Amino acid sequence: MNWLALAVALAPENILLAGMVVVLTIEIFAPRPRGALAIAFATVALALVAAVGLYVAGFSAEPFPGEFSTDPGSSLAKATILALTLPVLLMARDEFSKSGPFAVLLMSSLYGVCLMLSADSFLTLFLGLEMLSLPVYVLVLLAYRHSASLEAALKYLVLGGAATATFLLGVSLLYGGTATLALSGFTVAMHANDPMAAAAVVLILIAFFLKAAIVPFHAWAPDAYEGATVPVTAYMATVVKAGILLAVLRIVGEAPLPFAVVGLLAVLPLISIVWGNLAAMRQKSFRRMIAYSSIAHAGYLFYAFLGDGPGRYQAVVFYVVAYGLMNLLAFAAMPAGGEDESRDPLDAFKGLFHRDPFGASMVAIAMLSLAGIPPLPGFIAKFLIFKNVMAAGYTLYAVLGLVGSYVGIYFYLRVIQFMFMTPAEGHAEPRRTRHYAIATCLICLIPALLLALFPGAVIGGG
Amino acid sequence: MADAAWLNVLLFLPVAGAALLLAVPTERGNAIRGLTLVAMLAQFVIATFLYVGFDAKTPGLQFATLVPWIPAWGVAYSVGLDGYNILLVLLTAFLGPLTVAGAFTAIRKDVKLFYVMVLLIQFAMMGAFVAQDLFLFYLFWEAMMIPMFLIIGIWGGERRIYATIKFVLYTAFGSILMLAALIYLVYSVAGPGGEMSFAFTDLYQARLPLSVQIVLLSAFGLSFAIKVPLVPLHTWLPDAHVEAPTAGSVILAGILLKMGTYGFMKLGFPLFPDATHWMMPFLITLSVVSIVYGACLALVQDDIKKIIAYSSISHLGYVMLGLVSLDLIGVQGAIVQMVSHGLTAAGLFLLVGMIYERCHTRDLAAYGGLAKLLPVYAVFCMLLTLASIGLPTTSGFTGEFMVLLGAGTAGWQQYEQGSGFLLAMSAGAVSGVVLGALYMLRFAQGFLFGAAKAPHAPVVDLDVREKLILGAIIVAIFALGLFPNEPLSKTELAAQEYRLLVSTPRLPEVLR
Repeated sequence: MNWLALAVALAPENILLAGMVVVLTIEIFAPRPRGALAIAFATVALALVAAVGLYVAGFSAEPFPGEFSTDPGSSLAKATILALTLPVLLMARDEFSKSGPFAVLLMSSLYGVCLMLSADSFLTLFLGLEMLSLPVYVLVLLAYRHSASLEAALKYLVLGGAATATFLLGVSLLYGGTATLALSGFTVAMHANDPMAAAAVVLILIAFFLKAAIVPFHAWAPDAYEGATVPVTAYMATVVKAGILLAVLRIVGEAPLPFAVVGLLAVLPLISIVWGNLAAMRQKSFRRMIAYSSIAHAGYLFYAFLGDGPGRYQAVVFYVVAYGLMNLLAFAAMPAGGEDESRDPLDAFKGLFHRDPFGASMVAIAMLSLAGIPPLPGFIAKFLIFKNVMAAGYTLYAVLGLVGSYVGIYFYLRVIQFMFMTPAEGHAEPRRTRHYAIATCLICLIPALLLALFPGAVIGGG
Repeated sequence: MADAAWLNVLLFLPVAGAALLLAVPTERGNAIRGLTLVAMLAQFVIATFLYVGFDAKTPGLQFATLVPWIPAWGVAYSVGLDGYNILLVLLTAFLGPLTVAGAFTAIRKDVKLFYVMVLLIQFAMMGAFVAQDLFLFYLFWEAMMIPMFLIIGIWGGERRIYATIKFVLYTAFGSILMLAALIYLVYSVAGPGGEMSFAFTDLYQARLPLSVQIVLLSAFGLSFAIKVPLVPLHTWLPDAHVEAPTAGSVILAGILLKMGTYGFMKLGFPLFPDATHWMMPFLITLSVVSIVYGACLALVQDDIKKIIAYSSISHLGYVMLGLVSLDLIGVQGAIVQMVSHGLTAAGLFLLVGMIYERCHTRDLAAYGGLAKLLPVYAVFCMLLTLASIGLPTTSGFTGEFMVLLGAGTAGWQQYEQGSGFLLAMSAGAVSGVVLGALYMLRFAQGFLFGAAKAPHAPVVDLDVREKLILGAIIVAIFALGLFPNEPLSKTELAAQEYRLLVSTPRLPEVLR
């Protein structure tokens, strides 16, 4: 493996690294750190181009055999993650236009995701997972304004640490049982009739449940989502969640799951769907509501693992994209202006349609899509998952999951009700949507609608 | 092929209209109203041409378009006209401009959003009728919910939020179960290599075990029965009707409710004939209970809109009875009754809306002797009342008579074979006609005759716009009542096909 091949195989990662170095250097030498966000945007866009290029070229290589490999699947996953990050960076203009650390932390977290998605061994995966998580703890705290942020970051840190510990314990048991750290060891362990391997599988899955906020390991999410500023919340709800799920996909692969694992992958996510949707109804804060909604969506995503074959991969990727874009759309279009906290209460959405018709319509589309109402992309994504679950023969789980998703319709519609049907409370100024906010919305909306109209182009055969 | 393009134009015209509306500045209320009306009128003209061009002697689809959409799932964009939907498409296109024109003075808030929503729901309803692919049908079916949610929730009355949330929660519950059943059904019919198809014609071939059929029919049926609505799933309807603006009520009663009966006719019963046969006593009972119970409730209402809402439940019970009678005349009667109810209920809701705009109350007791105060209004009101009762020469008579005749004939045949159930139930359904006369005449008596009183008197009589709207409906009602043969000839082949599909057992004897 020569240096050039190494540079190509790790192109997205290398570009991110270069971006980080540039921003850090500017931080040191230039007094005005205004360009950090623009550089980060350019970097992520370049990395995206690189990932798409690798995917289109069908590039496969193993620069670090047994540890790190690039293949079309991983390139596509990276491209998904990077594409979802672009709107986050656009959104960050309000909050972080003067903050160099934000750009660096975000890129380093992205680097972690990319590493994780190319990992071949649990060692690399662990590195990626930690590189993904550590910057996010800081990001939550970055716009420190109220004590709740501190509490949220601490809670996130402690539970994230617990997830790390669980993961490491699982991996060491796995090593003990199968004498390998390769990701393929996981499939072996799943089918092994050995208590140590079974414990390893359970512990590793629980670690990911923790990271993805599956009930009962979800307690950190509402606080962290509420405590962070909007772009960071958006990042956690979409990119981080997508990264975790794509990593699970990399570990589990396409093989059918043994019965015991199916139980674990169906029951807890089902409880998440129902609990997340029920709890979201009671929320008064938009970000907390989205947190519970994302708990439910994590449930749907893990449901996708009940199906097998290439359908599983499709379902997860499609869902991650549709869900991510629509979540980002909601965050990009939510009422702007004023302090970060004043944007948050759901009451701020009351009468929004009369102040900002465009923004309200965008939030409405996002909510309907998240609720899974056709013909929006959220519906196609949900359809794909439940279709696969049913195809795999788990009819009862599919029906229960669908009924669970019905529970969620109400709170999404409540947001629409507030925006369109309830008059604004107190004195509310009409406002003009700013151009880049419109641009951010369209960047999220147009690909999502294309995805909904022509899913065939993405799904292809199978 | 050129002909088929017109059906697509018909379908997508409202969407194009809605897109154009977005470009019109919000303050230009009249431009928005005019543009919407033009789009709706154009759609009606196209629908008329398609209706005239529809050949009654050709079985199967006409003006059909079939384009693969998601090949991996066997989903296609497949639309076409057949005897099942031709009259409903015409009805939808006919009521479109009337709904829009009827809302000109009533809707003054968020005008643009309102007409965009009306156009979108028109698109969704039309799509659900012409779709020949289950996936496509489901998309349109669900897409109807959101515009209605907004129409009731934004422009509705006092308790609009409660009513609209109730509407959505009822509808969505049915849809979720239908979605589960739909996926299961498609996987059950998948070929040996797993190739799937959502085409209605392929799904009609499904040979499922009886127990599975019963579960699937229950899931589909629940969704349809909520829309119809059949007692006891009807409780959302009075709330939705009472709180909805006039246009919302017209769309709901005129077309949306027919989605339920159309769903049963096109999908529910033909897809699962053995289960339909098994559940027949239950279905007949539900239909007759809806007829009688709806009529009884209509008899005791004080709110004018509620009277019409409950009468809708009763009238759609006849449609269901005609469909489950499996008699050719009964099925044909069910189709006529759908159209007839669409016309009369829409007309009555428009009438109520017109008086409400003038007097701001729907309380029956607040009115009296309107025949003296508003003579023109009273004439229209009386005509629509009589049509609703089902007086001969009106469409209501044709529909109800054919349904009862069909159910009676089928009942007599079954009686001769030793089962008197359908005959007894049909006899019970006849009482609905009497009750119908009672509640509508009670309404007309209190409303039009007696001592003249109206809140906010003096009130002005109908203007030209309102006369034109109601006149069009009256003409349609009498046309269907006096010359039912022409439309019936276009639906006859479909009615025969429906009968054949539902009455032929799909399972071999041993499995039934």
